[in-house]
Amino acid sequence: MEALKSQFPAANFSLLAVVLLLPLLGAFVNGIFGKRLGKQGVRLMALSAIGGSFLASLLTFLMLPRGEAAEEGGHLAWNAWHWFTITGKMQQAIPIDVSFAIDGLNATMMLVVTGVGFLIHLYSSEYMWKDEGYHRFFAYLNLFCFSMLVLIMADNLALLFVGWEGVGMCSYLLIGFWFGETKNASAGRKAFIVNRIGDFGLLVAMSMLVYYLGTLRFSSIDLAATNLSVPVKIWPIGNLSADTLPSFVAAVILPKEPVMVYASTLVGLALFLGCAGKSAQLPLYIWLPDAMAGPTPVSALIHAATMVTAGVYLVARMGAVFILSPAAMATVAVVGAATALFAASIGLFQHDLKKVLAYSTVSQLGFMFIGVGMGAFASGFFHVFTHAFFKACLFLGAGSVIHAMHVRIHDTDKSQDMRNMGGLRKYLPITHATFLISCLSIAGVPPLAGFWSKDEILWKAFSNEIAAPRTVNGLVPWAWPTWLGVAIYWVGIVAATMTAFYMFRAYFLTFHGDFKGWTIVRGWTDPHAGHGHDDHHDAPHDDVKGDGPEPHESPLAMTIPLMVLAAFALLAGFLNAELIHVAPLGHLLEGVFKADEVAVHERAAAHGKEMMMLVPGILAFVAGIGAAAYVYLQNKGAQETAFAKSFPRLYKLIYDKWRIDELYEATVIGMVDALADIFQMADTWIVDGILAKLSAAIVGAAGTVLRAFQTGKVQAYSASMVIGLAGVGWFLVRPHAVTSIDDTKLKQTGEVVVSAAPGFGYSYNWAGPGLAPTSDFSATREITIPLQPGDKKDVVLQVKNAFNGVDTQTITVARPGKKAAAPTPGANPMDDLAPGGKVVIPGDKIPDLLRGLHQ
Amino acid sequence: MATYVPLLLLFLVGAVITGALFTLSSILGPKNPTPEKMMPYECGSESTGGRFVKPSVKFYLTAILFVVFDIEVVLMYPWAIQFRTLGWGGMATMGSFVSLLVVALIYVWKKGALEWET
Amino acid sequence: MKTGLYLSISPLLVVALGGALLMLAEAFSHHREEHESRSAGPSSELALGTAITLFTGAIFAAAVWFVGPEKLDGSQDLAPWLIIDRFTLFFAFTICVGGGLASLLAGGYLPEHRIDRGEFYPLLTFSSVGAIILAAAGDVLTLFLGLEIMSLGVYALTGFRRGSARSTEASMKYFLLGSFAAALLLYGAALIYGATGHTDLAGIRAALVAGNLNYGLVLIAVTLMIVGLAFKISAVPFHMWTPDAYEGAPTPATSFMAVVVKSAAFATMLRVLLVAFGQPELSSWGAGWPPIIATLAVLTMTVANLIAGRQESVKRMLAYSSIAHAGYILVGVTTTMRLHEDGQASVMFYLLAYTVSTIGAFGALILCGSRGAEAVSYEDLSGLGKRHPAVALVFSLFLLSLAGVPPTAGFFGKLYIVKGAIGAGLYPLSVILLLNSVLGAYYYLRVLVFMYMREPAPGAPFARPMKSGYVTSALVLAAVAVVALGLFPTTSLEVAVRAALAP
Repeated sequence: MEALKSQFPAANFSLLAVVLLLPLLGAFVNGIFGKRLGKQGVRLMALSAIGGSFLASLLTFLMLPRGEAAEEGGHLAWNAWHWFTITGKMQQAIPIDVSFAIDGLNATMMLVVTGVGFLIHLYSSEYMWKDEGYHRFFAYLNLFCFSMLVLIMADNLALLFVGWEGVGMCSYLLIGFWFGETKNASAGRKAFIVNRIGDFGLLVAMSMLVYYLGTLRFSSIDLAATNLSVPVKIWPIGNLSADTLPSFVAAVILPKEPVMVYASTLVGLALFLGCAGKSAQLPLYIWLPDAMAGPTPVSALIHAATMVTAGVYLVARMGAVFILSPAAMATVAVVGAATALFAASIGLFQHDLKKVLAYSTVSQLGFMFIGVGMGAFASGFFHVFTHAFFKACLFLGAGSVIHAMHVRIHDTDKSQDMRNMGGLRKYLPITHATFLISCLSIAGVPPLAGFWSKDEILWKAFSNEIAAPRTVNGLVPWAWPTWLGVAIYWVGIVAATMTAFYMFRAYFLTFHGDFKGWTIVRGWTDPHAGHGHDDHHDAPHDDVKGDGPEPHESPLAMTIPLMVLAAFALLAGFLNAELIHVAPLGHLLEGVFKADEVAVHERAAAHGKEMMMLVPGILAFVAGIGAAAYVYLQNKGAQETAFAKSFPRLYKLIYDKWRIDELYEATVIGMVDALADIFQMADTWIVDGILAKLSAAIVGAAGTVLRAFQTGKVQAYSASMVIGLAGVGWFLVRPHAVTSIDDTKLKQTGEVVVSAAPGFGYSYNWAGPGLAPTSDFSATREITIPLQPGDKKDVVLQVKNAFNGVDTQTITVARPGKKAAAPTPGANPMDDLAPGGKVVIPGDKIPDLLRGLHQ
Repeated sequence: MATYVPLLLLFLVGAVITGALFTLSSILGPKNPTPEKMMPYECGSESTGGRFVKPSVKFYLTAILFVVFDIEVVLMYPWAIQFRTLGWGGMATMGSFVSLLVVALIYVWKKGALEWET
Repeated sequence: MKTGLYLSISPLLVVALGGALLMLAEAFSHHREEHESRSAGPSSELALGTAITLFTGAIFAAAVWFVGPEKLDGSQDLAPWLIIDRFTLFFAFTICVGGGLASLLAGGYLPEHRIDRGEFYPLLTFSSVGAIILAAAGDVLTLFLGLEIMSLGVYALTGFRRGSARSTEASMKYFLLGSFAAALLLYGAALIYGATGHTDLAGIRAALVAGNLNYGLVLIAVTLMIVGLAFKISAVPFHMWTPDAYEGAPTPATSFMAVVVKSAAFATMLRVLLVAFGQPELSSWGAGWPPIIATLAVLTMTVANLIAGRQESVKRMLAYSSIAHAGYILVGVTTTMRLHEDGQASVMFYLLAYTVSTIGAFGALILCGSRGAEAVSYEDLSGLGKRHPAVALVFSLFLLSLAGVPPTAGFFGKLYIVKGAIGAGLYPLSVILLLNSVLGAYYYLRVLVFMYMREPAPGAPFARPMKSGYVTSALVLAAVAVVALGLFPTTSLEVAVRAALAP
């Protein structure tokens, strides 16, 4: 260990290269040479790449600074190379490096990604065996692991963004893995579009951080974050003023006063938009359930255990920024709570096993956001950790069930429909046992992993209180109402009850009761042998109620990952069981979040109620499991049918996922379609119609001359050149009175300098108050105008060019403020932000396009 | 400008006279067209084909090669006149120029551009 | 002997002499007609020779760059006709790299498509000579000379597929319009000579600064010269020849036109605008060339991107995409009015990134199709990602670079241009550029969608990749360059900043 430490010092920890490059190598080899390697070779390459990466991650984890060093924020760093430099607003150089920094937070995450990743690779090596795209699949999967590692190991947002896009790309590739089916292709497209919205938020957040803090490194952001506590005027935007809008519109949407918010709130909300896209929160969650069209191991790895938790990771990582803005924190927590409840309600009546798990994932992600939104970063992250195990186990278990169903049913939808399952307990004993453990864990039964993490989040939601940051420049920050945490707590309890119910509904429907897939005939053989599972083409022999063999347990390569994951789902909770004061993971994370959690306090009213508030949590799973057992184990779903009969519309509405997809279809997608139509129309009318016909008309006029070399449509081409030539010439030959105003000296001298843009052969004539009237044009290009606060002066500029053309422009310079009061910079905090010495320019001579130049 | 007025006048008078002669002769002259009279005049021999004959592309090729070497000679005149002043430097420069053209000549030769019958 | 002089123009000499040798070698080779056997055609001998010639030229350019032309005695002897400075050398390097890669592409393409005639290579080399002369020209006479040497070769390359009516037609159109544009340029040069009494760019500037001349003549001359140059970089509305010429020409010639001709034209545009017309009145935002160039940039980006999105042929899409890129570069040219060095550096970096990405994209398109199973439409590429992952992967890489996805070369090209536009206060231009690159991403990603997410319709033809060591090696070189420029952009940017013309 010591030898290793001297080989890899904490400041230059190049071991990280091994962690990163092995999966990349695997992706490269499998992608390029996969076909030649054969399936065994591909399997060996993929497994050893990710396995080696796991071992290196483990070593990294063991070499993390401990004890006091960790408390002080000690970490392992590796700067691979200097990438590029950007310039900040103070003209300072901001280096953006390809560098990585590992602390307790992302070291744990690395272990999850590579560890769970390895198990899922192992599982897939069997699950995907019959697929012809075997090597392609593993290339993508390895590439995904690489991108995910870049995402979590990056020490700055720019590099994180590279990983962020990388995992997104792998996700689309894998969702659309069976691109032959339109459903998959459209699911991939949906994920792509929704994530673009999120990426936009992340990009905005990055630009604002560069602008306000001059850095993208997490460690520097942590240190400098308080600089974000500055008020920003977000309205009115630009030149949009009451004059340009109809008065009744302006009265409604234009506030009288500029709207001020803290920069930290803007950054926080922009970041959260990115996180909500990636982590499937309201209202951007719609892509995740559809993403289940990809192979099941992909759902387990990307869409349950790792990629979708990237948003939670990012909020935790940027805790220093969020903590400055209670409003942004509240948004995170409320959106999380709403998503938890909403997705859980959709999960109640789904028939597709993977859809249930998908909505369950969305709901659990909501829980995680409650945690980080309530300032309990460690608790939120701990749920990421435990969720990775039990949800991966559930998905892989579902995969194992689907694998068994595929013996006879090759259609994807039918093989995943729980109405075709039942009684699989005796055929798939290992799958059954591991699935049950994970269900108990997610339902929150003590002392399983899910109990510890979920109840920790709910307790923190109940007890935490975010102290308002100090007031800057008189802008009072938004403060948390006391009831908000309590409300979120109760929403969480309801969602947890639903979770227990739908998970056990799924469990009972799948593993208990009678098998409904087909009539089991011993010794039956498939006359159409040779199908890979999941490669589902609706074969004509899919008569569901026909005969078939016994469903059989999956091979060892698939059951071992199940067992390992179930063991973690059972025991991982003890890594952070705050309630019984066994919390090694918590200690590890303490150093990471210490600075962020200074503003988080326990409410006085909540003090000492920890045990009491546990009771609703326990009642939640008792009620949920009990109800599920009553309805589905004892009464075989009679109540569900009855419910469907008595409230058919409500049942249908929930089953149709509250018709949110249709809502999007009607609004957002409708708008995009309309826009596309408009463009198409513009294309036919303007491009084909006007442009082509106009040039044809001009050609017609010059026809006699041009007919001499009439080849194809070359005359139209040259006509367009002539038009361009005329345009350029016209511009140069005409005079242009364009002015620019320099008000940098205004505060010191009370003068602005107005200058006319130079032009070839130009002479100028100025008129205005305080200027001697003259009719002569001279070479005077700029004039100085004294301005007192409250003054408003009109200056007229005339420009004459070489062809004696004259152009006139009137410029109004105005200085706001009270008349005769001496300018006292910074007396009123709003003064600095209001357009202090800005000069109003009417841009009548300048094309709108170019107006930005005249600021 | 005034200096050019007589010239312009001359152009104008010339154009008017020429135009007038052609117009008057076509209006006043007797017309008695026969097929023989309408045929192109080819020194008495019977004409074959229309007025527009496509000459072989070989003419163009030869013509363009001629232009290249013609210009070479044009460039050589001033050099030859200043031969002593330019000395060996001029010799070298002209040598490289000529050798470039020789390369081009070899190329067209090998490519068969100088063969009439192919 | 002035060793310094010959050393400083060595990139030009190497390429010119190499071209003459290749011409002789071609004449003495035994291949007369188009060959059936792919290994025995003239390409097998000449492609490599051409590539070596041009890459040697590139190495010489880089070497002289590092030594520093100002340290070589006599390097300025040819000024103002040929100006050997770092600016010239940077462009000479880009031109040679582009030409070399294009000749490698031809080495695979011509035999595959049975148009394996040796003239291609000398024509390409001499065209590159013209391009280098154009980049170095400090006098309108050499400028015109370089332009014509470059263009004549390219006209012939465009019509190289003699049997194809489309190729011949493209060549004819290009020739006619090209002559028109050249005439405009020459007329502009004549007028400016009439107004100032100078043909060298520095002299023209001095005369303009001194003033007291016929302003009307000068303004008309400026108009004509800008239009002449805008034609060569195919800026809208002088772009109409481009899609036809690019589509009709054999693909290696297309890629040569798209990168080499454009680089040289931008070099000379920068030199003319900044040296000859760089004095305050003509480079004024109010009434000089910057608003014209900015308007051309906006038109070029927008029109090209809008039309590119509607193309069904991938090659034609790439043609429009190259027009759109010219628009982005024009934004960089506009910024030079305020940010002298940085503006030029962004243009140069962009051209380098664009050169390798575009050659790569056209090369990947070549590699995707073999004779009888060419990749023409998007549908032809369906499922390529599954059938030939390596080919699809490199194609994706180049398209992503063209779309400007980090961390590829194209991303940093756009980044520096946008940064320059913001630095120069041209906010609306930078917003339009960003909006346009979103438009651009649509049609580039569409290729990826077809390659990775579609299967060919049953019975529909699909592209079968060809096998060629030449094309493969060109693609590997270009891919390495795209990735390297994306991972280490700072170094090459610094090189470009140092290469910028002095104000």
